[in-house]
Amino acid sequence: MKWIPKFNSSNSLRVIFVIAVFILLFLSSIAYKHNQDLNESSKLVMHTYEINIQLERLMSAIKDAETGQRGYIITRNGRFLTPYIYSRDKVNTSFITLKKLTADNPKQQKNLQKLFGLITQRFTSFENCFKYSNPQTYDKRKLDNHMFGGRILMDNIRFQVDEMNDIEKRYQQKRLKIYDQEISLSPVFSISLFLTALIFIILSYRQISKDIKRLKIFNKKLLISSRLMAESEVIGKFSTWQWDLDLNKIDYSDNQYRLLGFKPNAFVPEKDTFLNFVHPDDKEAVAKSMEGIVNKKQLPFIYYKITLPNNEIRYFKSTGKLLTDQQGSQILLGINFDITDEHLLNIELQERNRELEKSNQELASFNHVASHDLQEPLRKIQTFISRVSDADKAVLSDSAKDYISKIEVSAKRMRVLIDDLLLFSRTNTTKKEFIKSNLNELLENAKSELTEIIDEKKATITVSKLPKLDVIPYQIEQLFINLIGNSLKYSKPDIRPEIDIVTEKVSSKDYPDLLEPNSKKFYKITFSDNGMGFDSQFKETIFILFQRLHSKTDYPGTGIGLAICKKIVENHKGHITADSILGKGSVFTVFLPE
Amino acid sequence: MQKNALHILLADDDEDDRLFFKDAFEEVRVQTKVTFVHDGLQLMEHLMQPDVKLPDILFLDLNMPKKTGKECLIEIKKTEHLKNIIIAIYSTSSSEEDIEDTFIEGANIYIKKPSDFNTLKKIINEVVTLNWHYHTSGLNRDNFLLRLK
Repeated sequence: MKWIPKFNSSNSLRVIFVIAVFILLFLSSIAYKHNQDLNESSKLVMHTYEINIQLERLMSAIKDAETGQRGYIITRNGRFLTPYIYSRDKVNTSFITLKKLTADNPKQQKNLQKLFGLITQRFTSFENCFKYSNPQTYDKRKLDNHMFGGRILMDNIRFQVDEMNDIEKRYQQKRLKIYDQEISLSPVFSISLFLTALIFIILSYRQISKDIKRLKIFNKKLLISSRLMAESEVIGKFSTWQWDLDLNKIDYSDNQYRLLGFKPNAFVPEKDTFLNFVHPDDKEAVAKSMEGIVNKKQLPFIYYKITLPNNEIRYFKSTGKLLTDQQGSQILLGINFDITDEHLLNIELQERNRELEKSNQELASFNHVASHDLQEPLRKIQTFISRVSDADKAVLSDSAKDYISKIEVSAKRMRVLIDDLLLFSRTNTTKKEFIKSNLNELLENAKSELTEIIDEKKATITVSKLPKLDVIPYQIEQLFINLIGNSLKYSKPDIRPEIDIVTEKVSSKDYPDLLEPNSKKFYKITFSDNGMGFDSQFKETIFILFQRLHSKTDYPGTGIGLAICKKIVENHKGHITADSILGKGSVFTVFLPE
Repeated sequence: MQKNALHILLADDDEDDRLFFKDAFEEVRVQTKVTFVHDGLQLMEHLMQPDVKLPDILFLDLNMPKKTGKECLIEIKKTEHLKNIIIAIYSTSSSEEDIEDTFIEGANIYIKKPSDFNTLKKIINEVVTLNWHYHTSGLNRDNFLLRLK
């Protein structure tokens, strides 16, 4: 079932597509991740930056407080205290923000805690400085201590802030490095992936265009073959139909409509449509074989008649086969042949055959008539003449005696004629049984049949070895008798007859004029004699029935002997020729197939 | 004398042939009693008579009305008390087919009716003097057809 071309590429094409889709999905996920990473890193930078700002703010607030404190201590002017008072709030605000920002980092929290402690100490030291700088409670030594302590605290705070900034910076750098690595790696990877996907897509595109090209070619071929099919259906007077058993859909070829006497697609065929055309005589048989085809899967030829819409009767021959296509659905394929012409010819042939048989029978009954009914009165004439005794003859007049002897001769000749004619017709009509025979034996039989005349004429017959062949034995014997008899009969009166029989194996192509040039092997048997011969212009005519070259008074004969020879050789699908030089002798050549 | 006479039966529808036959037997030296029947039906009726003396030799023509010689031959060979009668086919026909068929059906000799009265006499002489026991035991397709030497 290869009537639908297979496209092997469709599977690989599917694989290529799946791979390409996966690559694209992968690429987009990578891109998404990179986007995320970039987002993260920018957030991180922002985060670090914010912490940095907040810490700077913290520092500046403390510095503001410090500056304010100094101004107040020196001037004692209350206006210098304003930044100091605000700085406290600023520090707290920054602290809360920082605490939030470093919530995910316990180390920074700890540092923040430490910073908070230091700042608290610093503010305590501010308070103490205020206390000991106050003129009522002025104590220069304590003030110096606190001022100095404040400075150390300030250094510690700065140090702590720097450390926190450093930690944040290092963390940021580490993360940024990782992101950088990821981001720097990805372009090569994604480009190569993208290229791979591109290659796959190009490959599949090529495959698709190849398939399309092949499909186009197949399509063209299909178109041509379907056209060809339609044309040959018209020319060959046949049609096809398909019956999809699963869909229960029947399709007729265009010519099917035409054979049924309609234009293509003139009606929609159904299961029983066709049966309506079948001649009532054959309906049952056709319906039965249509059912049988589904079970047996194959339909032997059925022959039936069809009645066309114009009541013309056509003869059909049909066959069918159950097919299973690639999709596994069962399709019944049927072919109808319009064999009306052949059928009519056949009927005519049968008629002629019957006539021939009849004429053959007539011939056979003629043989019977000849062998019995014609012979019987003749035999009686002869017997009655033979009963006219010598004593009776003595009382007859001379002319009466003469008449009686003429009657005798004529009757004898009539007998020979009837016998020969019978022999001739029998070589044609009697059953032809081919038996493997030794031709040497048949020749011996022929010679013994002719013993009398051979002895009388003192003839010599030389024979080279003859083959064994499938022949009709008595006919070949008759052939030998006739040919040798012929030579003996037409021998020269004063010379002893010499007959030479030579056998030779030849190929038919060596005798293209006589034999069919199909390289078959033949035995060529030549009978040459030293008799009186005949004019070679008669070499064809001597084989014709009743053709005689001599007057019957000189050489009695019926002119049937050689015609029988020809018939016998033809019965054996062989050939016989004759040649002669008048006064020198004749040569008869018999070709018999191996 | 009459007891030793050879009993001959000829079944032939042709009056002339019966005449030739009768005349020929008269000229043969052997003592014979010749009976004639005119067709196959009469032949079988004759042979089936309860007290009939069966012939020593039956000369049987093939081409007879009512019942052919061949049918008679087959019937005789099928009938227990008749099957040993020596049967000489005596026919105008010399067709291979007739000779073959009658040989197979069990006839003892095949004689082609001669066209010469002297030959007929010779044939009858030959047949009535033939050692039938010897001839029948050595019977084959070649000596079935009587040929005069």
